[in-house]
Amino acid sequence: MSSPSLASYIVKRPWLHRFMKPLANWYGNAAGYRQLGLKADDLLPEENDTVLLALKRLPPNEAYDRVFRLRRALQHSMQHNLLPKNEWTTPEQDTPYLSSIIKEIEKEMAEREDLEALVIQKRTKNASQ
Amino acid sequence: MFSRTTACRGAQQAARSQAVRPAQRRGLASPASGSFQYQSGEAKGVKFASRDFAGPTTTLALVSKAGTRFQPLPGLTEGLQNFAFRSTDRRSTLRIVRESELLGAELTAYHTRENLVLQAKFLRDDLPYFVELFGEVAASTKFQPHVYTEEVLPLIHFAHKRFLASPTDMAIQSAHALAFHRGLGTPTASASTTPYTKYLDAELIEEFSKHAFAKPNFAVVANGAEHNDLSKWVNEFFDDVPSQAGSANSAGTQQTKYYGGEERIAHDRSNAMVIAFPGSSSFTGQSYKPEIAVLGSLLGGQSNIKWSPGFSLLGNAKATPGTKVNTTSAIYSDAGLLYTTITGQAESVAQTAKTAVELIKKIASGDVSTEEISKAKAAAKFKELENGQDVKAGLILTGNGLFSDNKAYQIDEVAQKIDSVTDEAVKSAAKSLLETKATVSSVGDLFVLPYASELGLNV
Repeated sequence: MSSPSLASYIVKRPWLHRFMKPLANWYGNAAGYRQLGLKADDLLPEENDTVLLALKRLPPNEAYDRVFRLRRALQHSMQHNLLPKNEWTTPEQDTPYLSSIIKEIEKEMAEREDLEALVIQKRTKNASQ
Repeated sequence: MFSRTTACRGAQQAARSQAVRPAQRRGLASPASGSFQYQSGEAKGVKFASRDFAGPTTTLALVSKAGTRFQPLPGLTEGLQNFAFRSTDRRSTLRIVRESELLGAELTAYHTRENLVLQAKFLRDDLPYFVELFGEVAASTKFQPHVYTEEVLPLIHFAHKRFLASPTDMAIQSAHALAFHRGLGTPTASASTTPYTKYLDAELIEEFSKHAFAKPNFAVVANGAEHNDLSKWVNEFFDDVPSQAGSANSAGTQQTKYYGGEERIAHDRSNAMVIAFPGSSSFTGQSYKPEIAVLGSLLGGQSNIKWSPGFSLLGNAKATPGTKVNTTSAIYSDAGLLYTTITGQAESVAQTAKTAVELIKKIASGDVSTEEISKAKAAAKFKELENGQDVKAGLILTGNGLFSDNKAYQIDEVAQKIDSVTDEAVKSAAKSLLETKATVSSVGDLFVLPYASELGLNV
């Protein structure tokens, strides 16, 4: 499941976007995951069907990189140290590689729900037959 | 979803034609009158054919020149077949399924050696919806990698498993491979997992689809649709398909050559033997020989009449009633294969195979009565005309004829050709079979099943 977010609301309003952007950048760096070499999408809780399915749909190289990042971060977290500064995740590298897939899956599920709740009206021509 | 006018016009026209020809009101009884004829046409480079069969349903097919014969890499045809009716740019898989369910339609996709067929059966009024769907499937299917791994690959794997479990299929595939090598000889299902684990992925299938659904390579054929309607909707909905095949794919386009040979495959499930000879191409092709169809039904094997072995020579001569024998004249656009399939207990298969060869020799020597040949002619003609009525065969043959030779398959003419076959032609056809190299493939208990040389055939 993608985390709840006000991002789309903010991005739609340029003045708000301009105001929030430095704040968001500061928060992203202060959250600490970048110093462990993680991306924001690595932190999504994966204990549900949607995310599990999304993880299965990752291309093989991205799935491998994800596992590598997680293990490296875990190792450093246990040792109570950070990565050397040149290995930190840069804001450019911090891409939503998983959320995009999750959103697609959620859209599929929503469509299924919609179609389940469909109310059918027969065309008058067929109904009379 | 549909404009009301089209629906109404169809109904009006149906009513009008009934008023004019009251004798034809019982649509199903009338086809003796030559309504087999397909009308063909072209709209913006897309070839289409239709025939207005009386009745409330329509069968629409998109026949593409993308059968296993034309695939540049193994497994592509199967991949493309299983990607049919999956998510397109405008609709998801689920929506396509639900919408056609609501219309009471039936969607299928299958492939033969030469063709890939997308088919829909539906109520007559829904024609525009399905022509649009076909246009969409051909032009804008999304070939997503996860759909390939989650949905397409398992289906290909099932087909592979099913193939391995059926000795008859294995024998027929092996006979084709022996007879035609590459091209027509390519198996229609994967014989091992290599093709789809080594060569196949979603991207390659997408590339192949650009070739398969390019305007010169497919035809839209409808049964039970009005020609003008079809013409109008095809004109409207096939704008997005590529007008030229992008990549130069020459796989399978060479003139097929007959080789022949023998193959034996051990199998512990049951026994099957296929004895094959070069046959006749389709009526629209170059080497059309109607006498092969007559010879096929003369050898026969399967009875058309209940509780009787039938008139066919093999039907009467097979070793035990439990042995299944069937002679097929498989026709392709530029070649054909006349093959007898024998399945059953190993001993009776072996014995029946010997009998089959003896019978061909007997026909070649002229030791067959005129009466039997005329029965065979009648049976072959019936089968051909029934093919015409059987929508599925007609659709494929017509589509294939359209894009390979630019003429529709006219069943009436084929039936006439069969009528004009003489006894001598049948006998000389049998003689020429024995002179060429035969194709023999045996699957099953190889200890019992005979070699071709033991049957008296040269391979």
